[in-house]
Amino acid sequence: MIKKKFIILVFLFINIFGNCYSENKPYSKLENEIAKNLRCLICQGQSIYDSNSEFALSMRVYIKDQINNGYSESQIYNMLVKKYGQWIVYDPGYSKKTFLLWFIPILFFLLGGAIIYLRIYKSKKI
Amino acid sequence: MTISDFGYLSLLFGLISSFIVFFFSVLNIKKDLFNLEKKIYKFLTLQFFFVIISFFILLYSFLISDFSNETVYSNSHTTKPIFYKISGLWGNHEGSLLLWLLVLTSFILFFFFSSKNEPKNFRHYTVIFHQIIVIGFFIFVLKTSNPFDILFPIPSEGLGLNPILQDPALAIHPPILYVGYVGTSIIFASALAAMVTGYVNNLWAKNLKKWVLISWTFLTGGILLGSIWAYYELGWGGFWFWDPVENISLMPWLSLTALLHCISTLEKRDLLKNWSIILSIVTFMLSVTGTFLVRSGILNSVHTFANDPSRGIYILIFLFVIIFISLVIFFIFESKNIENKKEIFFLSKETSVLINNWFMIYFLSVVLIGTIYPIFLDVITSEKISVGPPFYNKLLIPFLVPFFLFMSVGPSMNWIKTNITYKRSYVFYFLFTTGATIITVYFLSQKNLLIIILIFSLVLLSIKTSANFLKKNTNHGQNLSHLGFAMLMLSILFNSVSSTEIIKNIKVGDSFISKNEKITFKKVKTEEKKNYSSVIGVFEIKNDNDRIIKLNPEIRVYNQPVIATSEAAIKTTLFKDRFMTINLIKDEQLFNVRYQNKPFMIWIWISTMIIIIGGTFAIFNKKKNFN
Repeated sequence: MIKKKFIILVFLFINIFGNCYSENKPYSKLENEIAKNLRCLICQGQSIYDSNSEFALSMRVYIKDQINNGYSESQIYNMLVKKYGQWIVYDPGYSKKTFLLWFIPILFFLLGGAIIYLRIYKSKKI
Repeated sequence: MTISDFGYLSLLFGLISSFIVFFFSVLNIKKDLFNLEKKIYKFLTLQFFFVIISFFILLYSFLISDFSNETVYSNSHTTKPIFYKISGLWGNHEGSLLLWLLVLTSFILFFFFSSKNEPKNFRHYTVIFHQIIVIGFFIFVLKTSNPFDILFPIPSEGLGLNPILQDPALAIHPPILYVGYVGTSIIFASALAAMVTGYVNNLWAKNLKKWVLISWTFLTGGILLGSIWAYYELGWGGFWFWDPVENISLMPWLSLTALLHCISTLEKRDLLKNWSIILSIVTFMLSVTGTFLVRSGILNSVHTFANDPSRGIYILIFLFVIIFISLVIFFIFESKNIENKKEIFFLSKETSVLINNWFMIYFLSVVLIGTIYPIFLDVITSEKISVGPPFYNKLLIPFLVPFFLFMSVGPSMNWIKTNITYKRSYVFYFLFTTGATIITVYFLSQKNLLIIILIFSLVLLSIKTSANFLKKNTNHGQNLSHLGFAMLMLSILFNSVSSTEIIKNIKVGDSFISKNEKITFKKVKTEEKKNYSSVIGVFEIKNDNDRIIKLNPEIRVYNQPVIATSEAAIKTTLFKDRFMTINLIKDEQLFNVRYQNKPFMIWIWISTMIIIIGGTFAIFNKKKNFN
């Protein structure tokens, strides 16, 4: 048993879970959905949902509170973006800054279609 | 002289051999001296031999834990199992580049050996262009990433390998992936050589196809291994996250897939010459860009383990040189390979291939823009945005429906022209697909229209592809890969719409209900292993018919380096995976338990295996004339 205590201590020392989050209810579906769409800011490419870091856990508490306060999913995203910037949400959203992000691939699709159409149509005339 | 010095020297000799090969090849094209060919052979072999020697020296250093070598010191430890001592070699930047070099030099040797029937100048130009890459990588290794740096005084113990890399799937993931990546270098060199010598024709296509298939098959395998690893090691139950490093392996895969289809058209109909060349060049660019983005540390990703900006700059310069050479050659020699604009009929295999390429390039552009756009935005406006799964889902999923529909009819088209006559089988396909879709939708209780349409198109794709197996004179490699792809998409779809999960904090002795299962937390035990100690949770799952399933998720604390990982417990059955992870909470009594039901998980792996088997079949298939 001493061994176990020791491992747990080492674990707690080197890892995570700084705060005492010991809520006993499972996360709701909406909470998980929101957590999946948020980036864990202190981790390397993990979402809040994937991460067990202190930051992720406090975000979990925040999400729960905001849902209880009656805010909708998109309202919660907006609040977080205001606080932490666009970096925190995985959905880049539609804005002036992301216009090209959405438009370039669509442009590729349209151009590709046009080229193929012309190639088949033009070759008929020869 | 230590053994590491020999490793370094051997690499130097390798570089010298490359210069000699380069020089002889240039000379041989100009003067046509037959006996130089034998010399080129000799030095290609020698170059490969020198790389092998350094590779084995590094391997030996890892095996005997020679900590005077910095790479070994930083990535190994005496208590590490022998298997991970070996995989530690390529689990880091320096060693993985040595592996790159090894594959690179072995491939060009193999190419020179296996292309004896092809035009002499074409072979020599291929060697020349390929040596430019080889020399680039040699210098890169020697200047910025020497795996044989020496430490003094000699440390008594190493730092160890990142524990999440201590895993069998990930241990063999890099070599498999690298064969895929490096194979594209042959495609690239061969494309430039064919341009210069005016050899862009059906013969070239026929010979290149083999290399495309090899790269493609290995790349698929590499991606599969990476996904399997992410699934059970990263501990959230997903297998693909649209993480930049994942995207980087997907991009060459997409362009290789496009090239594979395009090159068949060139082989059969002598069409799409320039397009084949462009795709060959783009594929290699994407492989090198991938290395650049991963190694430079520009990307924020779970998979970034080691990086260094100066290396990034070197690769960037290298990339620009390669792009410059390609562009110059493309525009100078384009006139040498003019194709006569043959007529393409709308209902033909040519059109199908064009449509395939159309979608592949679109998918590629989505992944490419999604990966690099945030980087550029950050540099230009210093604003950080995240481009994650919502972006990819929105831009990819709606386009999959027409893609699947085209894919289900494309392979049945004939070259040149297809005459569609009314057949009873069409009615059968339609009725069967509709029926199967209704049943599936009923069982999944789906109301989402897009998902219903996706299921319909996928069912159609599956049965149309299966029907192709029965045809005479059919390409079974292609059929297998297409069927595997349809099954893969179906499994991913079912998996994502009907996965369930429950996350709870509970004590030992507690139980909770998930759907019709009762999960009981029996006890906690501890275990000591050579390189880690672990806390294991013992869980029992009881379902309706009283069958008991045991799950033992683990928390491991590795000793070297001291890192904690959470090991998922997974019980796989044909229809679903049960996936569980635990985590400790400061309040010692409680454990954070995450329990997931993941339907059809194993089918995701099986169908990808079928895709790979299809590719392998096509590599070894001698019968080449289909349709």
